[in-house]
Amino acid sequence: MKTPTNDNPPTPAQTVQRPAPPPLPENPIDATQTHVVAEFKHDIPLTTCRIDPTGRFVFAGAEDFHVYRWTLSGDDSSKTLFKGHQSWVRCLDFSPDGKLLFTAGYDHRIGIWNAADDAPSPIQMIDAHKGWVRWVRVSPDGKLLASCGNDNLIKLWSIPDGKIQQEFAGHDRYPYAAVFHPDGERLASFDLMGVIKDWDIETGKEVRSLEAKFMWGFDQKFRADMGGARDMRFSEDGKTLIVAGLTEVTNAFAGVHKPMVLHVDWEKFEHLHKWKDDAYKGMVWGVCEHPEGFIVASGAPQGGNKGMLWFLKPGEEKPFHSVTLSHCARGLDMTPDNRQLAVPQFDGKLCVYQMTAPHNVS
Amino acid sequence: MRREIGCNRIDHQLSRRSFVAGSAAGAAAIGGLLTPAQAEAVKSGQKRILQVFLQGGLSQFESWDPKPGTKYGGPFRAIPTSVPGIHICELMPHMAQRMHRLSIVRSLDLKTNDHRIGRLRLEKGRTAGDFPYVGAVASKYLAPENPPLPGYLHITTRGLEDNTNAFLGAQHAQLKLLGVNAPENLNRPASLNEESAQRRNEFRRLANERFAGRGGQPAFTEAFDSSFEMAQRLMKRKSLFEQEPSAKDVERYGSHPFGVRCILARELLNNGATCVKVTHHGYDTHAENFNFHLEQLDEFDKSFCMLLDDLHESGMLESTLVLIYSEFGRTPKLNQRYGRDHWGSSVSVALGGCGIVPGAVVGSTNAEGTEVAEREVSGGHLFHTYFRALGLDTMANHDIPGRPVPIGDPSASPIEELLA
Repeated sequence: MKTPTNDNPPTPAQTVQRPAPPPLPENPIDATQTHVVAEFKHDIPLTTCRIDPTGRFVFAGAEDFHVYRWTLSGDDSSKTLFKGHQSWVRCLDFSPDGKLLFTAGYDHRIGIWNAADDAPSPIQMIDAHKGWVRWVRVSPDGKLLASCGNDNLIKLWSIPDGKIQQEFAGHDRYPYAAVFHPDGERLASFDLMGVIKDWDIETGKEVRSLEAKFMWGFDQKFRADMGGARDMRFSEDGKTLIVAGLTEVTNAFAGVHKPMVLHVDWEKFEHLHKWKDDAYKGMVWGVCEHPEGFIVASGAPQGGNKGMLWFLKPGEEKPFHSVTLSHCARGLDMTPDNRQLAVPQFDGKLCVYQMTAPHNVS
Repeated sequence: MRREIGCNRIDHQLSRRSFVAGSAAGAAAIGGLLTPAQAEAVKSGQKRILQVFLQGGLSQFESWDPKPGTKYGGPFRAIPTSVPGIHICELMPHMAQRMHRLSIVRSLDLKTNDHRIGRLRLEKGRTAGDFPYVGAVASKYLAPENPPLPGYLHITTRGLEDNTNAFLGAQHAQLKLLGVNAPENLNRPASLNEESAQRRNEFRRLANERFAGRGGQPAFTEAFDSSFEMAQRLMKRKSLFEQEPSAKDVERYGSHPFGVRCILARELLNNGATCVKVTHHGYDTHAENFNFHLEQLDEFDKSFCMLLDDLHESGMLESTLVLIYSEFGRTPKLNQRYGRDHWGSSVSVALGGCGIVPGAVVGSTNAEGTEVAEREVSGGHLFHTYFRALGLDTMANHDIPGRPVPIGDPSASPIEELLA
């Protein structure tokens, strides 16, 4: 009997079936090793992005009035169009199970969609505000949707029927963002003038108000106000609220100001930390808090096109790490496993970053 | 060229029947509705100009030439107006209801992106040279012999100094009013009684005459004389600046600076001003173009429309040319700060009132608003149109001795389809 040797390689029919290699162990979170793992392309500037609670999809609004969905593990061929708004979509959110997508449009409407549909069309379009709808957020129990708009109102809608439940009046100027506290009993909102309000969901009453005037500026020459939150989130434990925006406005009409992240102690309702980048004129467009205790913020400059990702430790003046983006950021979101970040950009790209060392680096 | 005339003819005829400008019968017919000053203004038959200058560069996309759903259209929607077929930006809902009183030119190419040059091309109707502004020309040819107020008044808080009257007399130069505040030193010093003041003026007049009699050039004293005359006219009308606007006016026009300036503009026009220019600052939106246009046009839209309503209801709109313009428009392409930059290649302006066909659109831009598609016009065309609408022969020469200077740019002509 002739025994096969290495001198006689097997024919294709005789190829040895090798078992698949075991998955590599996940590298630990290391923000300083943040690197690009995917890039989805669109031909129009993006306005915002969110990753769905299942971590399967990433959604982005664009200046062509539409929302687009990509499969995070896929490529550009997974791009799916959500068409229904008649203006830009500024903000997105999901039901806790990820089945419903909610969209806030500058066409004064809120859209409700099945997030995973192959050929999506809106389930409902709600005429929500007189003026732009700037923000939407779903309550932790998934029963309520909060929105805020240019009629200076915060509104609560029931899910899934989209019926109005409550109106909160009290902001004198446009509220830019509104988010539920994780306990589901309170809601925080932030307006153009840097005023933070704490609302009681059940009574619709304003409980507290805190000024963050340093996140607003009045341009004396042009007699214009500039401010507002570009992103706002509670920490998972609800102890802190982080707000993204600007500070030190010196020329509103040329966009000369500095980027700012404000950390608010929610219990004491006072400013905890204020971070700004003195060397970078521009805006913070997205912010989120990582469970390992650091904050990630994304920004766009006043001039040039070098967007930034800043990695911050609360209370520290300098970022412990930063990543230069290929263009200006328009938002930020993190995957449910807290390992990846999605950044929508002005050049139409949606970039996905992993906050670990690459697998080919030991 | 596209021309849309959707004016409600019955409304227009009724308006003419009720408010016949310059007609004593017309003034008498509405006498019960008007203040004495308004009735006098209508009765006088004087023609006048209201200029509303949106300083910094109003975005044509966010105002008169919206392109929603196109590459550079921005987030705002277009809304229908009182003229079927004409849509304007949703930021001007009051204007939309009054579109049948104004017309739009969407095809102005100023061929400059420079603030000063763009402004001068629109004010002078020339691409270069030392020529008088619209307001100075109005003061020279439309003002009565002894006008109760200076001929060219500009309500603003800023603005560059310029030789607005050029070769016309100094009395036709712009008099800048700082907001709604009375000009400085309007009150006679307490130490000077009326008799002494009259004697001082008489002495000044005699000294001027002696200077002229010895061969001195009148131009040397003319500017001083006109300053004194302006001051005297304003002193007689200082109550215009001293009276607080009524609560009803403030509610209608708004309590913000532009609203109060529009109230003052109305009072000045009612009281015999020939050209009143009101500047609304804050359109140079290199960042946050959309948020700032929201704020600015919210102020402009309501305040201006209240002024337009008051001019119409008093019958004065028939004899008042209304102009709304900026030194240029804004870029189609957005920059990374959500701003639009300077753009003079496809600009829109609006005009109406005396001698202008209402409810028309002249010219168009291409689908993405990047360039003029039809009926390109210049500042020169607009200048001719303004004064032809007011009854002036703009091809004639200025009434100055020694040199023939055409009133309008000889290389341009009126936009005939806008002339009523």
